[in-house]
Amino acid sequence: MAKLIGLCLNVVILCSTVGAVFEDQVGKFDWRQQYVGKVLFSNFDAQSQSSKKVIVATENNVFASLNIRTGELFWRHVDAIGPEGKIDALLHHGQDALLVVGDGRLLRSWEINIGGLNWEIVLDSGSFQSACLIGQQDIVKHVAVLKKTAISLHYLSNGHQKWIENLPESETVDYQSVYSGGNGEVYVLGIVPHSHIAIVVYSLEDGEIIRQFSVEAPWLSNIQASCAVIGEGMLTCADSATVSLYMLDLESQTEMSQIPLQSLGLEVTPGFQPVLRSTQPNAARPPLSEFFLQVGPEQHLLLQLNDGQIVTLRDFNPALLVSFATTGEKTIAAVMSPKNTTACSLNLFSAETGRRLLDTTLIFPLDPNGGKPEELYVQAFLKKDDSVGYRVMVQTEDHTLTFIQQPGRVMWTREEALSDVVTMEMVDLPLTGTQAELEGEFGKKAGSLDGLFSMVLKRLSSQLILLQASISHLWKLFYDARKPRSQVKNEVTIENLSRDEFNLQKMMVMVTASGKLFGIDSKTGTIVWRHYLDNIPANAAFKLMVQRTTAHFPHPPQCTLLIKDKDTGLATLHVFNPIFGKKSHVTPPAMPQPILQSLMLPVMDQDYAKVLLLVDDQYKVSAFPSTKNVLQQLQEIASTIFFYLVDSSQGRLSGYRLRTDLSTELIWEVVVPTEVQKIVSVKGKRPNEHVHSQGRVMGDRSVLYKYLNPNLLAVVTESTDTHPERSFMGILLIDGVTGRIIHEAVQRKAKGPVHIVHSENWVVYEYWSTKSRRNEFSVIELYEGMELYNSTVFSSLDRPHAPQVLQQSYIFPSSISTMEATLTEKGITSRHLLIGLPSGGILSLPKMFLDPRRPEIVTEQSREENLIPYAPELLIRSEWFINYNQTVTRVRGIYTAPSGLESTCLVVAYGLDIYQTRVYPSKQFDVLKDDYDYMLISSVLLALFFATMISKRLAEVKLLNRAWR
Amino acid sequence: MASPGGQGGGALSTRGGGARRMKWALELSMGNSRSRGDRQGGQGDVVYPIGFSEKPVPDTSIQETDKNLVEKRCWDVALGPLKQIPMNLFIMYMSGNTISIFPIMMVCMMAWRPIQALMSMSATFKLLESSSQQWLQGLVYLVGNLLGSALAIYKCQSMGLLPTHSSDWLAFIGPPERMEIMGGGMVL
Repeated sequence: MAKLIGLCLNVVILCSTVGAVFEDQVGKFDWRQQYVGKVLFSNFDAQSQSSKKVIVATENNVFASLNIRTGELFWRHVDAIGPEGKIDALLHHGQDALLVVGDGRLLRSWEINIGGLNWEIVLDSGSFQSACLIGQQDIVKHVAVLKKTAISLHYLSNGHQKWIENLPESETVDYQSVYSGGNGEVYVLGIVPHSHIAIVVYSLEDGEIIRQFSVEAPWLSNIQASCAVIGEGMLTCADSATVSLYMLDLESQTEMSQIPLQSLGLEVTPGFQPVLRSTQPNAARPPLSEFFLQVGPEQHLLLQLNDGQIVTLRDFNPALLVSFATTGEKTIAAVMSPKNTTACSLNLFSAETGRRLLDTTLIFPLDPNGGKPEELYVQAFLKKDDSVGYRVMVQTEDHTLTFIQQPGRVMWTREEALSDVVTMEMVDLPLTGTQAELEGEFGKKAGSLDGLFSMVLKRLSSQLILLQASISHLWKLFYDARKPRSQVKNEVTIENLSRDEFNLQKMMVMVTASGKLFGIDSKTGTIVWRHYLDNIPANAAFKLMVQRTTAHFPHPPQCTLLIKDKDTGLATLHVFNPIFGKKSHVTPPAMPQPILQSLMLPVMDQDYAKVLLLVDDQYKVSAFPSTKNVLQQLQEIASTIFFYLVDSSQGRLSGYRLRTDLSTELIWEVVVPTEVQKIVSVKGKRPNEHVHSQGRVMGDRSVLYKYLNPNLLAVVTESTDTHPERSFMGILLIDGVTGRIIHEAVQRKAKGPVHIVHSENWVVYEYWSTKSRRNEFSVIELYEGMELYNSTVFSSLDRPHAPQVLQQSYIFPSSISTMEATLTEKGITSRHLLIGLPSGGILSLPKMFLDPRRPEIVTEQSREENLIPYAPELLIRSEWFINYNQTVTRVRGIYTAPSGLESTCLVVAYGLDIYQTRVYPSKQFDVLKDDYDYMLISSVLLALFFATMISKRLAEVKLLNRAWR
Repeated sequence: MASPGGQGGGALSTRGGGARRMKWALELSMGNSRSRGDRQGGQGDVVYPIGFSEKPVPDTSIQETDKNLVEKRCWDVALGPLKQIPMNLFIMYMSGNTISIFPIMMVCMMAWRPIQALMSMSATFKLLESSSQQWLQGLVYLVGNLLGSALAIYKCQSMGLLPTHSSDWLAFIGPPERMEIMGGGMVL
């Protein structure tokens, strides 16, 4: 019998190793969304009106080109993470975009139509300060790169260096800015803070110093923040202390002249640092003499420098954002001012006169669930009648890009916050209205008070509704079947969201680092709701928990997001409905104490919300919700509630027990000396994980029982010494209730980052072996032995026998970014490891390859068990990539969720991109195949049915005839 | 000669045909005496009453049978299952212990036949009623069938189809109930 089962399993497992998709399945169950991140620099391709490109460089070190009609990516280049790939500057000239990357390490020129690299050169070392295009006689041919100690000039055409010069007195002078007015001179502006400005003028031709002088400016600390060059080489600086503008003619080398703003009739909001904004439409010509001066958070002035005199052209009050844009010879100023609470209005003004241009009003709708506008990018173009038209791209605080056309039509929005997902959960969708109706009928709220008659009526009406719904569904199916597939478009809205037959469609609740929450339909990737939480501290820690699922109709589902400010330690709770994104009516408790951790109990209050325990820094516990019912339940079970805290900075793991008065007592403590090693990560088991089989069948048909301790923690430590000979990593398996160390292993000559998955009775981790200089996988499995100690209950307090520990290691040919295990409803399906690779692939590696029982010598018994003989190398087979050619850039996390089908596991990989798909670790054993021939089967059935009918009739006739003879 | 009559008369005439000599006859067809004569001649040796034979029937009353013959026949029935065992052993040996469709079919046949025989035990006893060693023969028949089924069970055992190992009951062990609730993590 076991053999029979073994045979079936064998078939299943062998089939499961082939898991690639067919060509016609591409995009059927999976989708990918590509993001770029928060935009730092942006430029419109100003070639012509028909140009439909905007190039962006972002905080995530991404350089991309967006289609302004649809918002889709034309192309995208992703550079290294961190300071190495940081984009310092973006200069745009004609068909070329110049990027300075990695703190002045590289200078690159890109062709913006196809995104190809024109050239790349390595710059001399030194920290980057500034870069600008240099032109002469209306032709821009060079780019100047200013570094801390040197300035270099490069040709635009091939990047070759024309000259490089060391800056004089670079130890004392902080050179910050470079400027050229197109007259063959390159100005380098430096500053000795609170003393003077140093100006060095180089000749464009050979890099010789033409002039060098310094000007007293004891009030100035930063040129880039408070100065701008206006008009014909007039350096203008704003000072908040004296409330005045300082002007210096760079060519005539005079003293700085002070112009108090009061003399211009202007006032600055107290405490506000005035900001200057000038524009230089053409690098071969001096900047315009018109400029913006921001004198308050919502007040901008358009000023003009006219023969050394400053003239106020227009006062914009209130104005949120201003921007210059140039088309042809015309330069315009776009001003965004608040209109009402739901919208802002944009207007164009002529830069030269400050006059408002007619018919240029544009309405920008403010999303109530979004942030305030932060940056304005304007694309101006000349219409046929020579008037100026424009489109704008608005960036808001929540990293959303909105592209608007006149008169306020939103062309597209990009939610760039999704490029930085911190944590996510998948929530079941609610039942449809009709299903809910039925539930309601039998729910507790439907009164037994109602009479028999009304109940009968209710039943009849609900049956009618069901009938109607099914008929309309059938009709829709029939109707859709006639259309080609590409035309069938299922718009997902909140109204038609409902659980499907197999619970394959779920709501993805995503929390992003910017504090914006998203609800995304997992089937199509449509953003169903979004909610921006303002006042999120910069380095907040998030923890998302599902307190109530959709299973408790009519109570709405409920999610709780714990947001903790790492600086102050104070935390807030945001309670919301994960299906609609609305904030819940439940008021979260005020938490005056810093919160250390939270703990979700399987206990529910009378409204079916799971109880959340919050542990504060006094190790006191508060419950949410904290009704009488909950507190009573807590008192009853307090003695069985344990929690553990891991303090990485002190290297301490400690376990606590809850007392009935909601205080706690320390019951165990393990200290890892921080001088030697530090705790990197702690992994428990996922609470929603089910293990179907309690043991493994051996070749002799006995059972090796698994050690399934739900309280087991895997603690990873790394040595503080990073020398390749002495570095090591440790893994510690600790029982979280008793603090008992179940197993301890040290991997010598190993280095992090360690990726770890802890599930069932196994722990898989990956590290870098400094000895052999390769990535290695190691797997630990725990077994109780041939006997179960107690098959009915598991208590960590009553476990006299230590488990058997098996371990094996393998070589993996690639480094990995993240790792997660598949999860299914009942845990019958075999497990796979989903591995995010830096190359952008997501690998589905069967767990059977990571099995410490893999034998070195094949025996009859091991063959019986279907154990693969041990081979040190794990190969990457290309059919194991679940995302075929849909590269997921910079995978940071993989989330797995079970579906209603045992064979199917939903997978979301997030990083810079988001990719959603389904995996079938043991193939779809519970689903008919896609190409299953329903027609053939049903026609054969029908034919057989009729054949039997006819032959029966014939047989009857024959019998009768024979009787007559 | 002509008289009113109907088809009943015709019937009479045929019955009359059974006897060689008629006391009287009805002639329905007018006047054609030749044809009558022909018909009579035609029907003469064909139509007899059912079971009628012209020859004298031999005596078929049951004669005294040979007692030994009955005994022998009954022993044949009783020893039938036992005689099959060597054959079964041979099939068993030939089919091997692998699990595939043919060995499974063999095992099913081997197990099913003795069971079927045991189920219809009472019918077999009726067969053996006439024998003087009825009880002994019945016992032998029973033992033979039991041996046959034991052989089938042995075969199942050697093929590994019997749930005799702990692994066969593994699927029925439920997950243990969790006594403690635990949670926590890194200090946020």
